[in-house]
Amino acid sequence: MIERVIELVRARAATGDALWRRAERTSVTFESGRLKSCAATEETGVNLRVLVDGRMGVAGTTAGDADDLVARAVASAALGELVSLTLPTTSSLPRIATFAAPAADAPLDRLTAIGTELVDRASREGCQIGVSIEREISQTRVVNTAGADTTYQTTTVVVGLDLARFAGDDVLFVSDQYAGTELPAPADLEAVVRSIDERYTPAQRVVTPPDGALPVVFTPSGLSAILLPLEQALSGKTVLQGISPLGAKTGERVFDERFSLTDDPLVPGRPDSRPVDDEAVPSRRLPLVERGVVRGFVYDLETAARAQTASTGHGVRGTFGKPRIAYSNLILGKIAEGRGAGGFGGGLLDGIADGLLIDDLIGVGQGNVISGAFSHPVALAYRVERGAITGRVKDAAVAGNVYELLQKIGEFGDDGRWLSGRWAASLLLEGVSVARR
Amino acid sequence: MKDRLAAALAVSRADYTEIRIEHTWSAAVSFRGARLESATAGEDRGGFVRALHDGCGWGIAAFTSLDELPAMVRRATELSRAVRLERPIRLAPVAPVTAEALLDLDGDVRGVPLAEKKRLLEGYNAEMLAVPGVVDTAALYRDEVTEYWYANSEGTALHELRPEITLSGTAIARRNGTIEKGLESIGFRRGWHGAQQQAAGFGEAARRAAALLDAPSVRGGAYPVVLDNELAGVFIHEAFGHLSEADFVYENPQAREMMTLGRRFGRPVLNVGDNGAAPGLRGTLPFDDEGTPTQDTPLIREGILVGRLHSRETAATLGERPTGNARAISFRHAPIVRMTNTYIANGAGTFADLIRDIKLGVYACSAFGGQTLLENFSFTAAYGHMIRDGEVAELVKDVVLAGSLFQTLDRIERLAGDFRWNQMGGGCGKGGQFPLPVTEGAPHVRIEQALIGGDVPA
Repeated sequence: MIERVIELVRARAATGDALWRRAERTSVTFESGRLKSCAATEETGVNLRVLVDGRMGVAGTTAGDADDLVARAVASAALGELVSLTLPTTSSLPRIATFAAPAADAPLDRLTAIGTELVDRASREGCQIGVSIEREISQTRVVNTAGADTTYQTTTVVVGLDLARFAGDDVLFVSDQYAGTELPAPADLEAVVRSIDERYTPAQRVVTPPDGALPVVFTPSGLSAILLPLEQALSGKTVLQGISPLGAKTGERVFDERFSLTDDPLVPGRPDSRPVDDEAVPSRRLPLVERGVVRGFVYDLETAARAQTASTGHGVRGTFGKPRIAYSNLILGKIAEGRGAGGFGGGLLDGIADGLLIDDLIGVGQGNVISGAFSHPVALAYRVERGAITGRVKDAAVAGNVYELLQKIGEFGDDGRWLSGRWAASLLLEGVSVARR
Repeated sequence: MKDRLAAALAVSRADYTEIRIEHTWSAAVSFRGARLESATAGEDRGGFVRALHDGCGWGIAAFTSLDELPAMVRRATELSRAVRLERPIRLAPVAPVTAEALLDLDGDVRGVPLAEKKRLLEGYNAEMLAVPGVVDTAALYRDEVTEYWYANSEGTALHELRPEITLSGTAIARRNGTIEKGLESIGFRRGWHGAQQQAAGFGEAARRAAALLDAPSVRGGAYPVVLDNELAGVFIHEAFGHLSEADFVYENPQAREMMTLGRRFGRPVLNVGDNGAAPGLRGTLPFDDEGTPTQDTPLIREGILVGRLHSRETAATLGERPTGNARAISFRHAPIVRMTNTYIANGAGTFADLIRDIKLGVYACSAFGGQTLLENFSFTAAYGHMIRDGEVAELVKDVVLAGSLFQTLDRIERLAGDFRWNQMGGGCGKGGQFPLPVTEGAPHVRIEQALIGGDVPA
């Protein structure tokens, strides 16, 4: 269908680009430790952007009618703002492994066997176990009127494990997952089981939270509250809008010199890796912060055009709506081999006389995120006393400002790992304000 | 279409099979500042089949290729057979029904040119931009009409036409380094007529953003707290409503104990329910996505837990009756237990009565966001006022309400007699399904004491 769409756009003497994507997903779900459902979903959609007399229009469909799609995109362009987009021409794409045949070919019982194994290994008295396994095979094709025509296939396997324990009115919820282009290796499943155990075991005991300005270790999952303001500030969109605190700081040292952040769409074996973005811009590694110095921002075609710069290849689009900016694989520091070599806490607890280890916070993303200020109750956190975890804390909140805290970081742990599209190790920050309620 | 569904059902050899087909036409317009971001129209069409063999699990197929309907039915039945269960899945009985429920489209949005929709939103956006101090705005218009068919192997056959329209605005005010925002959000299960004459709310949100520039942060601490209708509604949905969804407890003995019917959750003033049949609201539909009629389900009566929300499966497991709360956001998903229009029932007296004897308290209004993690919650109010000597006093900002659900529900001591449904946009998220159209409603609610996080603790 996509060739026909582009032909129709050309026939109207317009320019444009289109994304065609077909995804087939197979998923199995275990509830309370037993296999409950199997699902197969398939979806094909086309998203079209046209430029008619310099005005941009967008339309999408899953219904497969090319003429109707083009007509709607042209009608949308009649209302659109002027923008001078330069559509990329065909170029040689970087080679990157995004497809694993064994994952694509794995039969249903191979997927359910993974779940059964996890349920057996993670089960414990008084706890409910949930497991979900999802395998997606997707084909993407991006074509534009400038001559670009790129296509690639990906596989994504996500295995999620969660454990819930209810004791009176105390609810304890621990979860982790594997995600990759390949089926999980035994070591990957082992890492998930170990991670659940490391979080669950010390959480059974509830202790009083500390109070004051304290050393706090954020685990790779707990780091979300710290990194979210930077993800917003390093988007070309917020720079263009004039609301990014980092917008005018390119080349300046803003963070501790041990702090580096990179977006890399070319990491082998990661589900978010791709040779090209959804606007046919070839993928490349992009340093955002290098040794504390602001180096770059992520752009898609439209934002780059308006900001009079070049797209960095971070345009993402679904079937509906216009392309938008998104990170691919966000890497804090450097990727080390393996996952979770260090234990829970990443070896950072030793020197802590009294502090917290934070794995999850409530309300991340609420409030005035871009300012860098955060204030969240803990969802899953542990008290650390004299270098060791003494138990789980419940009624505590942490607060601070990311831009102040990251000027001088404590240390990175030895537990670097992937968590969805992000690589990070635990991070020790000093002087985080902790309040008891 | 009905014949195609019947023919496809006939292919199935499963003990239970259901099919949903949805065809949705949508339009969306957005502005950022004075600039149009996009004006676009979409067409989304697909189907969902769910099959169940005795002694087996659910087999599901979801697809956009509608011409392969019988093949998808066969696929779902095969997937069901792949799951062997020791305890079989049972479905609570629901009487088969045949219905044509073509809701009033109230001005069919499909007949309105995109340019008209742009003009409407441009006007609302201009209301915000005209307010001194406002430096940026974001405004969004979205409409859709879904033609919906549902049929199951027990004889239920439904054909519905479902309209929906949402509008939202964010005004950003800035002075020096201080940035504040004001939000407006409107949502109806109505058509084009419902989107008219809504300018006032956009202007008000923008004036509030500007006013917040001069407002101090609330001082953190424990206060008597009064929630406005909107925040009280968001609170009951987020903090309590999700726990009343039976899929949370039906296979979990410990959770069931926590949510035992008959347990006291609050004082006798507190009455809570969920009403999927309330007329004219976003969460309202005649039937849920299993073909069960919607209804008004009491959840808390005079402080006591008396009910919960069910799908046919959770109702059968717990030996209770289906409540019409099995919902899916689209053909891509299986129905799961969800809320519809969740409310705290009305109290008595005026808002002035409610605050008259509060010496020092916080009046928390509207919501920027909220998150609950089982028994813990955190809500960010859009703004607040101090209450001093029984009167609403100065505007304050950074009002974050956090605490334990059980403690907070138990501290609800008085309700005003000014119940109102929040006709808001947005939606509810659960199990990867977002946004599901829901509504919340409440009167002003007074909490004896709650923790307000304000300025960052030192």
